[in-house]
Amino acid sequence: MEKINNSYTAENIQVLEGLEAVRKRPGMYIGSTGESGLHHLVWEIVDNSVDEALAGYCDHIEIKILKDNVISIKDNGRGIPVDIHPITKKPAVETILTVLHAGGKFGNGSYKVSGGLHGVGSSVVNALSEFLKVNICLEGKIYEQYYERGVPKTPLRVIGETKDRGTMITFKPDKEIFTETTIFDYITIRDHVRQLAFLNKGLKITLEDFRDEHRKETFQYNGGIIEYVQHLNKGKETIHQDVIYVHGQKEHGNDTIEIEIALQYCNDYNTRIYAFTNNIFNPNGGTHEVGFKQALTRTLNQFAKDKGLFKKDESLTADDVREGLTAIISCRHTNPQFEGQTKAKLGNPEVRKITDTIFSEGLEKYFIEHPTDTKTIIDKAINALNAREAARKARELTRRKSPLDSLGFASKLADCRSKDPAISELYIVEGDSAGGSAKQGRDSEFQAILPLRGKVLNVEKAHMNKILSNREIVSMIQAIGTNVGNMFNIENARYHKIIIMTDADVDGAHIRTLLLTFFFRYMRGLIEHGYIYIAQPPLYKISQGKKVAYAYSDAELEKILNEFPDNPKPTIQRYKGLGEMNPEQLWETTMNPETRTLIKVKIEDAYEAEQVFDRLMGDDVEPRREFIQQNARYVQNLDI
Amino acid sequence: MDQVNNVASEKIKTVNISREMKTSFLDYAMSVIVSRALPDVRDGLKPVHRRILYGMQQLGNTYDKPHKKSARIVGEVMGKYHPHGDAAIYDTMVRMAQDFNYRYTLVDGHGNFGSIDGDSPAAMRYTEARMARIAMELLRDINKDTIDFRDNYDGSEQEPVVLPARFPNLLVNCST
Repeated sequence: MEKINNSYTAENIQVLEGLEAVRKRPGMYIGSTGESGLHHLVWEIVDNSVDEALAGYCDHIEIKILKDNVISIKDNGRGIPVDIHPITKKPAVETILTVLHAGGKFGNGSYKVSGGLHGVGSSVVNALSEFLKVNICLEGKIYEQYYERGVPKTPLRVIGETKDRGTMITFKPDKEIFTETTIFDYITIRDHVRQLAFLNKGLKITLEDFRDEHRKETFQYNGGIIEYVQHLNKGKETIHQDVIYVHGQKEHGNDTIEIEIALQYCNDYNTRIYAFTNNIFNPNGGTHEVGFKQALTRTLNQFAKDKGLFKKDESLTADDVREGLTAIISCRHTNPQFEGQTKAKLGNPEVRKITDTIFSEGLEKYFIEHPTDTKTIIDKAINALNAREAARKARELTRRKSPLDSLGFASKLADCRSKDPAISELYIVEGDSAGGSAKQGRDSEFQAILPLRGKVLNVEKAHMNKILSNREIVSMIQAIGTNVGNMFNIENARYHKIIIMTDADVDGAHIRTLLLTFFFRYMRGLIEHGYIYIAQPPLYKISQGKKVAYAYSDAELEKILNEFPDNPKPTIQRYKGLGEMNPEQLWETTMNPETRTLIKVKIEDAYEAEQVFDRLMGDDVEPRREFIQQNARYVQNLDI
Repeated sequence: MDQVNNVASEKIKTVNISREMKTSFLDYAMSVIVSRALPDVRDGLKPVHRRILYGMQQLGNTYDKPHKKSARIVGEVMGKYHPHGDAAIYDTMVRMAQDFNYRYTLVDGHGNFGSIDGDSPAAMRYTEARMARIAMELLRDINKDTIDFRDNYDGSEQEPVVLPARFPNLLVNCST
């Protein structure tokens, strides 16, 4: 008896240590303690409910954003078990909520397919919540348990009777952990759960916001990913009416692999291929995406050849066939292997072959049955082929002018003397006026300046041809040296710090969004490697006699003014443009590595970022209008 | 990355790209909506128009005085009220003087102010302008506490929030 007690205590200590570690390094478990991490808590709980749906026990999930940013998530699944766990000697639900990596998804059996999301489970949410309440409806009884910061405050007890089944979890994120913000963004949550509803055909998800204004939306799609493709193509001109849908399943050893693909072509130049494994978005694709692309290219080539649509011995490449393509690839795998910690890429080698086989069979069938659509799609791809040829020639032209192999460098780049990329910095500056200040103020040993004129092209809305003939874009490509798109190579980066330096006004903010769009779409590797920075020029100059101070925010201005004596009255200059500063001031405040502050741009959540760029910079006006309407009250800097 | 960063005191913060995009875009979009693209229903003017008229009045550039060089007007407006490009201000003023764009022109121009065929106006160093007589009615009684004033962009001057507007300019001249 005593022995059992001992092991129970030891077990107990380990549990505490586990959750303590989560509170100490939350970033390791949920990515960050910023906005993404905060929302991650919701995904974590929702995904458990979705797993119930995948197992076939749950068809309705209700998510509520309550007053005070408390989240409540309810499903009608089996309910977390409440019987005593053989190892921890505690109710299973308490084990799941207090022990890291506990859950029904590690042994095979209770769940066939599971997102297991980011693999950490409800215990992490519990540890990072000011409070968490779990209610379980099971076998006629309602159970309840209450936790604070991961520590159970009440034992699991029966509080009533019910005929329902299911689990409800209510929690409030801990503001000691989420210091940046604890406010949930309705649109972010809505986009995420809508995506889950698309990926899980028939599953009903209700989202309700009880904070400022009451909102309620229900998502249920019986068409599944077909409706997802239609949703993504809303407002775009599609070139064939029906969404092509392919579905199949195959066994591999002990694993079952189910592939679902929906696609449709639009009359534009962008590619929207989203690959998912067990409901998890894979921003870097993986073997399912590779298999899909191979099959698509091969099948299109074969049909084009059979129909005699090629001129000489042309053939389509993967780039040609994906222009204007919207596709969803959803793979369900009983044993998925991912590359990288963020599950960014699916790694199972067998999936490539399986996807290829299933998809090419389905696509061939569709092509044979729909000859007109096939012709339209192939024509579109051949157009892309021709445009690619033209772009290649244009690109060769720009390459020949590259500063590395000749002197014919036509752009306005003022390069640095150092040839070592690791210490070199490139300042991308708004306007020639500011470019001049920057050029005179810089340390030319390692700082290069590239002034851009006016508003940069919005690449989200333009075709590759147009982008590669835009002067400002070309001079950036030449200066940075990595090339773009699929020819991008980070090894060739000539600078390891690329610093966007725009005026501290709203037009500067606009140029920043345009530049980030370009980097995100064509040189994403630069952001992923942490090479992209934003400079922070001061907003105010405060001078009194010979004393000068700079303020980078309104709060700082306040602080400085309090430190200055009242007499004589300090004069405040609000900087509207970088060109207002003398070169040495610009160096002192914004460019000198010893005194400046830089902001490094990183991608916390690739899928969210995709959505943001699409919504804010894309062709479709409606989502942008909605974004502005929803967020108008949060605007921070208004220029009057 | 870190070994490169050899300056110990350098401060590096990080920002999530989605957050940066959202805030920057919202700042820009809202500023454009609130203070650039939409006219005020009370005087039918966008900020740039209002600033031009107020600037001209402050210069004493009224309908009963001789024309002044356009460059002087643009300079006054740009320096005191409208911290943006000179071309934007001059183009706006030119439009206000074109009788094919305005039912009742608010600016009385002298020199080549362009034509309906799309000829561009002469550069601002050549042309001259003054307020049209009807524009006086937009500003009449401005100093009799009829409207509010606010600080300009750097707090060194005052500018009207809206003009007193004795006639419904939005109906008369429309706005684009």
